[in-house]
Amino acid sequence: MIRRYLAALLLPALVAAAPVRAADAPAEIKVGTLYASSGRFAGISMPVHSGFKIWVEQVNAAGGVYVKAFDKKIPVKLVAYDDQSNTATASTLYNQLITQDKVDVLVADSGSVLTSVAVPLARDHKMLLVDQTGTGANFFTPDNPYIVLIADPVSSIWPKPLADFLTHDGPGLGIKRVAMLYATNDFTGTQANAVRKFIKEANSGVELVYDEGIPTETSNYTVAINKIQAAKPDAVIHLGYDQNDIAFLRNLQDNGVKFKMLFAIYPGLETELLLKNVGAKGIEYVYTYVPSSELEYKPDFGMNLTQFRGEWNKRYSDGKIEYGFNSVAGYTTGLAIEKALSVTKSLDQLDLRQAFTEISGKFHTLDGLFQIDATGAQIGALTPLGQLVPNGKDGVKFVSVYPHETATGKPVYPAP
Amino acid sequence: MSVADILNGIAYAVVGGLIYGLYFSLIGLGLNLIFGVMRIVNLAHGDFLMLGAFAAFFAFQLGGFSPLVSVLFVFVLFALLTFPLYYLLVPRLLKARDPEMLSIILFFGFSQVVEALATIAFGTSERSIPGRALAVGPMSILGQSFPKTWVISAGVSLAAVLFIYLYLYHTRLGYLTRAVMVHREEAVSTGIDVHRISAIAFGIGLALAAVAGVFAPFMLTIVTPAMGVDVTISSFAVIVIGSLGNPLGTVLGGVLYGISYMFMQTFFSSWANLLPYLVLIAVLLLRPSGLLGRQVRRA
Repeated sequence: MIRRYLAALLLPALVAAAPVRAADAPAEIKVGTLYASSGRFAGISMPVHSGFKIWVEQVNAAGGVYVKAFDKKIPVKLVAYDDQSNTATASTLYNQLITQDKVDVLVADSGSVLTSVAVPLARDHKMLLVDQTGTGANFFTPDNPYIVLIADPVSSIWPKPLADFLTHDGPGLGIKRVAMLYATNDFTGTQANAVRKFIKEANSGVELVYDEGIPTETSNYTVAINKIQAAKPDAVIHLGYDQNDIAFLRNLQDNGVKFKMLFAIYPGLETELLLKNVGAKGIEYVYTYVPSSELEYKPDFGMNLTQFRGEWNKRYSDGKIEYGFNSVAGYTTGLAIEKALSVTKSLDQLDLRQAFTEISGKFHTLDGLFQIDATGAQIGALTPLGQLVPNGKDGVKFVSVYPHETATGKPVYPAP
Repeated sequence: MSVADILNGIAYAVVGGLIYGLYFSLIGLGLNLIFGVMRIVNLAHGDFLMLGAFAAFFAFQLGGFSPLVSVLFVFVLFALLTFPLYYLLVPRLLKARDPEMLSIILFFGFSQVVEALATIAFGTSERSIPGRALAVGPMSILGQSFPKTWVISAGVSLAAVLFIYLYLYHTRLGYLTRAVMVHREEAVSTGIDVHRISAIAFGIGLALAAVAGVFAPFMLTIVTPAMGVDVTISSFAVIVIGSLGNPLGTVLGGVLYGISYMFMQTFFSSWANLLPYLVLIAVLLLRPSGLLGRQVRRA
C-alpha cells in the first residue's frame, strides 16, 4: 500500500519532468509564404514558389518533415498568398501570416523588393524570416537575429568574382575603363555599391568612367546606351532584374551597339527566359554569373540537378513558369528548412535561427554549400563568373572564366 | 560632362523624345477619343494595349507575321470585338448620376479581370518580338542614332493621328462624332444616333490601343499581362497634358511627355520617371484644361 501511495505521488512529477515529445507535437508544421502570380516580379517569384512547392510535395509524400524537437515526422502545411508584386499588399499579407495564420516558419517572397517589407515586420514580431533570394545587404545587421538568407549570396559579396576578374585579369586583357548602369533597388543597388567598393579597394588602375542608377521600372535604355557609348568603356556592367536585362539587351540589338565586354545578371540566372526574349545572338559573349542550375554540384542532401529538372518537367512543362536558377532556389529553401528542423530544439524562432547556424557549412545541396555568417547572410554558394558562348545554331553554353580554380575556359575579349 | 556632351545630350533628348513621344501620342489617342465622346474614364486602356501586344506576339510566333501586317488585322479585330462591348457596358453606365466616377470603378474592375485572364492564358513570363521582325539596326536622324524600330513605330503613330484627323474632320461620321463630343444631349435632340456614334468611337479608340500594343515589344521592350496599369497611367498623363477630350491635343501631350522623359533619362536618370508627372501637375495647376485649352470637363 505504501508503494502504491508513493507511485501515486511520484508519477505526476515524473511525467511533468519528462521532455516534450510526441504528445506536444503539432499536427502540422505551418509554413507561410508569399508569391507574385502577376506584376513586375512574377517572373522571378513564380519559379521560386514552384520550386518550393516541389519540396513541400516531396517531404509530405515521405510522411512529413522530421522535427528533432518532437522526434517525429510532421506533415507540412503550406499557407501561401499572392502579393501580386505589390509591396503594400505583401506587407499586409506577411502580417496576416504572422498574426492570423500563426505560421511556424515564415518564408519571404522572391527578390529583395518583396523581401524588404518582411524584414522589419518579422523582426518586430520576433519571427524568423527565411529569406529565399532577397540579397539586399541592409537586411543583415548584427542586431537582427530574425533573418537567414538561403539561396543567393548576399549582394555585398555576390559581385566579388566579377570585380576580381575586372581588377585582376582585366588589365592584362586591356580593360581599364568600366561603365556601370544599375537599377535603383535593394538588390542591384547593393551589388553596385559592392562593385564600386571592390574596384576602388583593388587599386589596379581599373576605373569607373560611367556610374549611373536608373529606375527599376525603366523599359527603354536607348538614352543610357548612348551615354555609355560616349564614355568609351572597355567593359560594361548592367545590374538589373530580368525585365531590365531583357530591355537593355534588346535595345543594344536595336541600336546595333556592341560593347567589348558586357556583364548582365539574368542571362545566367534565367537563361531560358533571356533566350526566348533576346535570342542567342543577343546574349552571345555576355558575361554573367554561372548559376547552380548550370553547375552540377554534388549534393549530399536532396535531389541533384538532373533529378530536380525531371521533377520540374513533370509538373511545369507548359513553359508558363521558367526553369532556371530561381526554381532551384525555391527547392533549396525547402531543403534548408528541412535540415534546420532536423536539429532544432524547439519551434521557438530563436531556436530555429540557432538551428540554421548549426547546419551552416555542413551540407551541400544542388545550389552548392549552405553557409551563413553571423548576421544570417548567405556566404556560401558563390557563383563563378562565366561567359555565354555560341553553342550550335541558336544556343549558348556557359564557360566559367573566374576564379581560375573553377574555370572551364578562357574569356573571349573583346567580344567579336 | 563637357559642353559638347551636354549639347549632344540635349539634341538626343529632343529628337529621341519627339520619336518616343509620338508613340505615347498613339497610346493616348484612343483614350482621349473615348473620353471626348463618352466622358468615361477607361482604366482598362493599357490592358487593351497589352492584348494587342500579345496578339502581335502570337501572330509572329505562330505565323511569322510582321508587325506591320499584324497592325491591320489587330485594328480590325479589336474594332469589331469592342463595338459590341460598348453596348454591354456603356449605355447603362451613362444613365447613372455620375457616369465619370462610375466608369473609373467599372473599368478598373474590368482591367483587373482582363489582367487576370491574360495571366491565366499566357502565364507571367516576359515576352518580346525580336527587332528584326520590324527592322534591323539604327537610323541616323539629325546626326543622332536611333533604332529603326522606333522610327517605324513613330511613323505608324503619325499615320494613326492622320487617320483620326481625317476621320474627325473629313468624314460625315467624324462630323457626327464631333457633334456628340461638343454636346451629347443636343446631338440626341437633333436625331443623331448617339449610341451608334459612341460605339464606333469606342471601337476605334480601343483598336488604336491595340495597334499601340503591336509596337510595344519595340518601344516598351517587354510584354507581360501586368503591363497595362503602368501604360494606363502614362496615357492619362499624356491626354491631360495635351487636353482632355481633344484627340489631336494628345499629339502635343505625347511629344511633351516623351521629351521630358528623355531629358530626365539623359541628365538625371535615377529620377527619370519624375519629370513627366511634374509636367502633368504643372499643367493641371496652371492650365487645367490642358495645353490646347479646350474646356471639355464640366465642374
